[in-house]
Amino acid sequence: MMAKRKLIKNRVPTPERPAYERIKDFEEVNLGYDFELAKKEAERCLQCPENYAPCIKGCLVNINIPAFITRIKEGDIRGALEVIWACNSLPAITGRVCPQEDQCEGVCVMGKVGDAINIGKLERFVADYAREKGIDDELLMEIIPKIKKKEQKIAVIGAGPAGLTCAAELAKMGYKVTVFEALHYPGGVLVYGIPEFRLPKEIVKKELKKLELLGVEIKTDHIVGRTVTIPELIEEYDAVFISTGAGTPKLPEVPGINLNGIYSANEFLTRVNLMKAYKFPEYDTPIKVGKKTIVIGAGNTAMDAARTALRLGSEVTIAYRRGEEDMTARIEEIEHAKEEGVKFMFFVNPIEFIGDEEGKVKAVKLMKMKPLDEKDSRGKRKITPTGETITVETDTVVIAIGQVPNKIIRKTTPGLNVTEKGTIVVNENLMTSIPGVFAGGDAIRGEATVILAMGDGRKAAKAIHEYLQLRDKFISPNEKS
Amino acid sequence: MSARTEVLIVYKILERKEIAMRNVWFKVHAPHVVKMLQPGQFVIVRAFESGERIPLTPVMWDKEEGWIGLIVFTRGKTTLQINTELKEGDYFLNVAGPLGNPAPMKRYGKILAIGLYTGIVEVFPIAKAWQEMGNEVHTLQVTFEPMILLKDELEKAVSKHTAVGVPIDSEKSSPENMKNVTTKAREVVRNMIKDLKPDLVFMVGPVGDQKAIFEVVREFNVPMLVDLHPIMVDGTGMCGACRVTVGGKVRFACVDGPTFNAYEVDFDELIKRSGYYRDLEMRAMQEYMQKLQGGAQ
Repeated sequence: MMAKRKLIKNRVPTPERPAYERIKDFEEVNLGYDFELAKKEAERCLQCPENYAPCIKGCLVNINIPAFITRIKEGDIRGALEVIWACNSLPAITGRVCPQEDQCEGVCVMGKVGDAINIGKLERFVADYAREKGIDDELLMEIIPKIKKKEQKIAVIGAGPAGLTCAAELAKMGYKVTVFEALHYPGGVLVYGIPEFRLPKEIVKKELKKLELLGVEIKTDHIVGRTVTIPELIEEYDAVFISTGAGTPKLPEVPGINLNGIYSANEFLTRVNLMKAYKFPEYDTPIKVGKKTIVIGAGNTAMDAARTALRLGSEVTIAYRRGEEDMTARIEEIEHAKEEGVKFMFFVNPIEFIGDEEGKVKAVKLMKMKPLDEKDSRGKRKITPTGETITVETDTVVIAIGQVPNKIIRKTTPGLNVTEKGTIVVNENLMTSIPGVFAGGDAIRGEATVILAMGDGRKAAKAIHEYLQLRDKFISPNEKS
Repeated sequence: MSARTEVLIVYKILERKEIAMRNVWFKVHAPHVVKMLQPGQFVIVRAFESGERIPLTPVMWDKEEGWIGLIVFTRGKTTLQINTELKEGDYFLNVAGPLGNPAPMKRYGKILAIGLYTGIVEVFPIAKAWQEMGNEVHTLQVTFEPMILLKDELEKAVSKHTAVGVPIDSEKSSPENMKNVTTKAREVVRNMIKDLKPDLVFMVGPVGDQKAIFEVVREFNVPMLVDLHPIMVDGTGMCGACRVTVGGKVRFACVDGPTFNAYEVDFDELIKRSGYYRDLEMRAMQEYMQKLQGGAQ
C-alpha cells in the first residue's frame, strides 16, 4: 500500500541568473530545472484523473499534463515527450513563452492550497532534456519512416508559430509542404520579436531542423502577395494556409511620432534580435539607445523592449495608460523587468513627443489617466483623461501598443474576406472565404499568443486533411465504382 | 541547413562590372523576384551574414532568363563591402522582392524624369515604360562627371536624354562638391521646365536634392512625383523605420510607396530621419576601411 502523501505547498524554485549579472548580456535568464529538481517538482502533482484535471482543460492545446508529469516522476523523459508531442510539437518554446498563470497553472488544484505546479518549467525541462540527450531526434526518426507519403501539396504562408506548427503536422500526415517566408530567416516573431534572453535562438534553429527532417521546404525571401500571389498558389497547391501574423505596428496618432529616436517595438526588436544590432559594428545594422528610454505599453512585447533597452545600457521606464493590475504581460516577464530595474509609470498616455532642433526626441508629454468603475468588453476597467499632463525627458522611445495584420495579402487576394481591423475571416474549420484557403494565428486574431497560433496551426492541419479527403472523394469519379 | 542552402544557390552573381566611379553592375540570378517585378519596385538585398538588409532598385531584368541587374553605388560600409568583396560567381545571401508598389503607369503627356547620382538607375525602367506606353519622356541625370550612368541605354529608350557631369578633383563626394551638383541640377531643371513645359516631373535622388528640385518645380506649378528612399529594415511593412509624413499622414514608404506626390511630402522631416545613423555609418565605414588596409599590408 502506498504511504499517505504529504502535500508540498511550495514550488521547487528554478535557478535564475541574478539580475546584476544578466542585465550585462543577452543570455537566457531562467536556467530551468535539472533532472533532480524536475522530479522533485513533479512529485508535488496531485495526479488529478484525466477526465477531471483542470490543467488539461486550461491548456489551449489540451496536453495531458498529469500524464507527462507522471512520466517525469518515473524518470521516463521519452514517455513524457511523447505525451506532449501528441498535442504540441514545440514544447521548448511554449514552456518558455506561454502565459501559464492564466492557463494550466491558473486552474491547478494545488494552487488552491499552495503554489500551482510549475507546469511551464516542467514542459520546458522535458523539451530541453530531450534535446540535449538526443531523445527528440530518436523519437522523430522512429516516426518518419512510418509516414505514408501523399501526393498533395500544401503551401503555408509565414514561418512563425502557426505556420511552423501547421507545416510539421501536415508533414507528419505525409503531405508535401512548402513554407513561404518573407524575411531571410524562418521563425517569425520567435526570431525577430522575442529576445535571446527569453527564447534562445538555438532552440528555434533546432525546431527548424526537425521540419527539415520531416521534408518541409522553407522558401525565404518570398513575400506572398508580391513575389507570388495567393491565386497563383491555389493553382499550384492543393491547399493554402495563411499564417502571416500581425506584423504591422500600431503607432499613436500624436504630434512628433516621426521624431528620431522613436521606434516601433517591431523595429527596435528586429534590429536587435534578427539583425544583431547589439553587436554593431561587427554586424552592420545599427541601433541608437540613449540614457533614458520610455517604453509605451505593458504587454510582453513592451517588457521585451524594456529589458532589451536596459541591456543596451539605458535607464528604462514603462509608461502604461492603465493600472498595474491591468498589465497584459506574463507575470514572470513583469517580475524579471522589475528585478532588473525597469521603472513603471501607470495611468499615463502619450499625447505629444517633443523634439530638439535636429528632429530627435527629447521629451514626451503624457496625459494622466484615471480608472472608472465601468469595465470594457475585455473586463478591464475603463480609463479617462484627467486633463492633467506631465512632461518626461527622454532620448529613446519604443512604442509597444500592439500590432495589426500586414495589408499586403489582403490587397493582393481578391475574394478574401477580412474584418474592418484587417484580420482574415474564417469559419469554425479555419477556412477563409476562398475554398481551400485556410488561415490562423494572429492573421485571424489580431494579436494573441504563440500558443493560440500553434493551436490554430494544428487545427488547420487537421481541417486541411479533412477538406482534401472530402474534396478528392467528390472529384474522383472512380471512387465508388 | 539544407532549406537555406537551396536558397543560397539561387542568387548567383552572373556578371560583375565597374561601370562608373563607385558604381558596380551586378547581374544576379533571382527568378522568383523577376516573375512579378514591375518598374518602380525594389528588392531587399543581404550580402553577408553580418550584413544589413538594404533596398536596391533593379535597373533591368529578364523574365525568361530569370535575372535582375543591380547597380550598387558605394555610399556606406555595406555597399562598399558589396562592391569590394563580391565577384562574379559569388552569391548574394538574400534577394527578397519585388517590394513596394509599381510606378503609376499612366499617359501623362510630356514627362521630365530626373535622376541625381545613382537615382537615374531607378528612373531608367520607369522612364522606359512611360515612353513605351506613349508618353514623351525626357530624362536627365546630374552627377559628378565620372559617375555618369546608362547614357547610351537612356538615349535609346526615351525621347531625349541629357547627362550633366559636374567635375570633381577627388574621389570624395564632399559636401561642397555635392552642393555644386545640387546647384547645377536646379539650374538645368529650371531651364528644361521652361523649354519643355512638362506635364509631369518625376525625380529620384538624395532626399535633400529632392527637396531642392521640388522647390524649383513648385515655382512652375507642375505636378511632381518622387520616389522616396528612407531607411528601411525589413521592407515589408513590419517595422515602420521608413515612415514619412505625406499629406499630414504617417505612411510607410515600403508598402504605401515608394512613389508619392512631392507636394505632400514633409521633406524636412525625412531629411532628418535619413541622417539619424550617419555617425554610426561613418564609424562602421572607417573600421571597415582600416580592416581593408590592414589586410593589404
